[in-house]
Amino acid sequence: MIELVNVRKIFNAGNPSEFSALNSVSLNIGENKITVLTGPSGSGKTTLLSIIGCMSRPSAGRVKLSGREITSLPERFLTDIRRKTFGFIFQQPNLIKGISVLENVMLPAYPLGEKRSHLKEKAMKGLDALNISGKAMAKVEWLSGGEAQRAAIVRALINDPSIIIADEPTAHLDTKLSYRFMEIVEKFKTEGKTVIITSHDPLVYQSAVVDRVIGLRDGKIEGKPS
Amino acid sequence: MRKSTLFFYSLAAEIILLGMLLVHASLSASQPKWEETANLVKTLGLTDLCLFTEARYTRHLSQADLNTPFQDHPLSLEHFPSGSFTLPPEGITKDHERLD
Amino acid sequence: MRGWIEKQRYILDFTLSSLLRRKVKNFGLLVLYALIVFILASMMFFTYSIKKEASLLLKDSPEIIVQKLMAGRHELFPLRHIETIKNIRGVAAVEPRLWGYYFDTHAGANYTLLVPPAGGKIGKPASKTAVVETDPHDRAAEHAGQPLFRFNDVALEPGTLIVGQGMARARHTDMGDFMPFRAFDGNILSFRIAAILSSESELVSSDLILLTEGDFRKLFGIDNDYVTDVAVSVNNPREIATVTAKISRLLPDSRPIIRDEILRTYDSIFNWRGGMMIVIFSAAVLAFVIFAWDKASGLSAGERREIGILKAVGWETSDVIQMKFWEGAAISLTAFFSGVILAYIHVFFTGSLIFEPALKGWSNLYPHFELTPFVSLEQLTTLFFLTVIPYTVATIVPIWRAATIDPDTAMRHSGE
Repeated sequence: MIELVNVRKIFNAGNPSEFSALNSVSLNIGENKITVLTGPSGSGKTTLLSIIGCMSRPSAGRVKLSGREITSLPERFLTDIRRKTFGFIFQQPNLIKGISVLENVMLPAYPLGEKRSHLKEKAMKGLDALNISGKAMAKVEWLSGGEAQRAAIVRALINDPSIIIADEPTAHLDTKLSYRFMEIVEKFKTEGKTVIITSHDPLVYQSAVVDRVIGLRDGKIEGKPS
Repeated sequence: MRKSTLFFYSLAAEIILLGMLLVHASLSASQPKWEETANLVKTLGLTDLCLFTEARYTRHLSQADLNTPFQDHPLSLEHFPSGSFTLPPEGITKDHERLD
Repeated sequence: MRGWIEKQRYILDFTLSSLLRRKVKNFGLLVLYALIVFILASMMFFTYSIKKEASLLLKDSPEIIVQKLMAGRHELFPLRHIETIKNIRGVAAVEPRLWGYYFDTHAGANYTLLVPPAGGKIGKPASKTAVVETDPHDRAAEHAGQPLFRFNDVALEPGTLIVGQGMARARHTDMGDFMPFRAFDGNILSFRIAAILSSESELVSSDLILLTEGDFRKLFGIDNDYVTDVAVSVNNPREIATVTAKISRLLPDSRPIIRDEILRTYDSIFNWRGGMMIVIFSAAVLAFVIFAWDKASGLSAGERREIGILKAVGWETSDVIQMKFWEGAAISLTAFFSGVILAYIHVFFTGSLIFEPALKGWSNLYPHFELTPFVSLEQLTTLFFLTVIPYTVATIVPIWRAATIDPDTAMRHSGE
């Protein structure tokens, strides 16, 4: 489904501080699979994830999505692909403060101009599925860490993406909530979604639901533990 | 109600109110209420509006000459507020007779 | 199209939510902004209406006024010069005018004393409409001989006055009351107020006191050979310039003032160069620049982070710009309309309450006139473009920098 060919990413090119985050990464990520990228911090996990999620462009190499070359697309198309294909779950819930949970959840759908009653219904359904519909009107400041993350997950799903990208999703969760998160991930899989997670939490990469673990070190893929 | 709806309602209310005020303006401007006043001006030969009564060069703006503001004392510059936002009369430096 | 409208409404929803988040700051901004529009619009309404009213009222003022100057001051005009002017070809009539000022120490007010032309008539007979208050007891027989000036049904007899509303207010007098004057020789002369001019005409007549020629000369000790100045009318309005030039040649110590100059004086009466005006104007502009600068000088860390999140969840740069556009538009449109509406109410319904202290100055006699609301749409449009557009642009500009915020900022950001 996602194919990376010789992807390189160099930051601060030409400066003394130039540094290469990814070196010739080639990778194939299967559809409806749960893939975990693991590795120590600084190994290039997040960079790789942001390239896969069309958030940044590789310095060299090609990225193909369902066989379509997306590296050279202009920003507008890239954004369009991003918001229709990918749902993002960040290390931080990254909710916008001062507005309600419901508004936060609907935010990614705003530029699509969908009818509000539909959108609201969809958002409420999503919140309901994760048992936080009671907090829909609450401001995000009032949520607990677990609730905030679930709200962020609902937000990631609002445009019904086929690929979910999660960056260190369990970093700020306790064990119980982390297990809870993996249950949600398993549900994604049964719904036919592709999931890509970066994590160095054993609870994640040793989980039974994970199909493939890819180790990264110094911007390169390490041997392939199954 | 959605915030945007609320915003458009209040904006529309303001525009309608302003529109009503403009209608009010054009209605009152079309009333011939200064006919009598214009007649008074003509009969009495008035030359100026009675906007300020504090100084004679602002009471009869058009009749003032260049020296008027200084007539009491050469250092008496501007001590009447009205003098500070009106201009000297038009054509004050104009000579009606060619001097050449 | 529906989708586009819905999208704009979503963006506006979000913008308003984020504006409400910083209630105090944004509300303060809105109030300040509306206040600036209010001051500018009030000034605009006031000056435009005064100018317009002046042009309508003064269109029938004397064609040429001839003053005599001596050592840089107005001097009494000798009657013998009248013949000189009359002999100029094209002159239709020369009317001597007698007028002057009287400072009333009791009220601390300046009045304009004026001798109306004999036989002149103003106002409407009281029987028709009761616009003007008249004294019903004063329909005495006219003096034989020279015709009397008449106001409504009241004749201006020697020993009586017809006064303006402002004067009556300053002295708390009414019709039938006596008004004492200290004459040039120290004698006290007492006149009876026979009528009060209508309040509609207050813009030109507020401080007027009309009295007979004999009384005027007695009061000020002006010799019968002199008048204050003369009003010259011409046969052909196109000859005004020629006649004026001839007058200044024949009477080198005279100063002719033509009607056109009077009208132009009032056309530019409140110019932006006027002292007070430029102070108000520059203060307003400076305040505006300050907060436009504050806006344009950049995004706070919080805003940058927020834009990062928006981009990460799928907003394009253009969506973010539209959001900022709505932010600027919402504030500036609200401020503009509130400011203009309040200014209209201020100038035309409350009689420029806020400007009054400045307009009154040191005078104790201030005309209460109701300005006719003349509104120049052109000026309103100018005000709109001078306030709403720059503000909106100033809000959008820093967002170009936000375009450089990569959507993965949200991912890189660890903790706050």
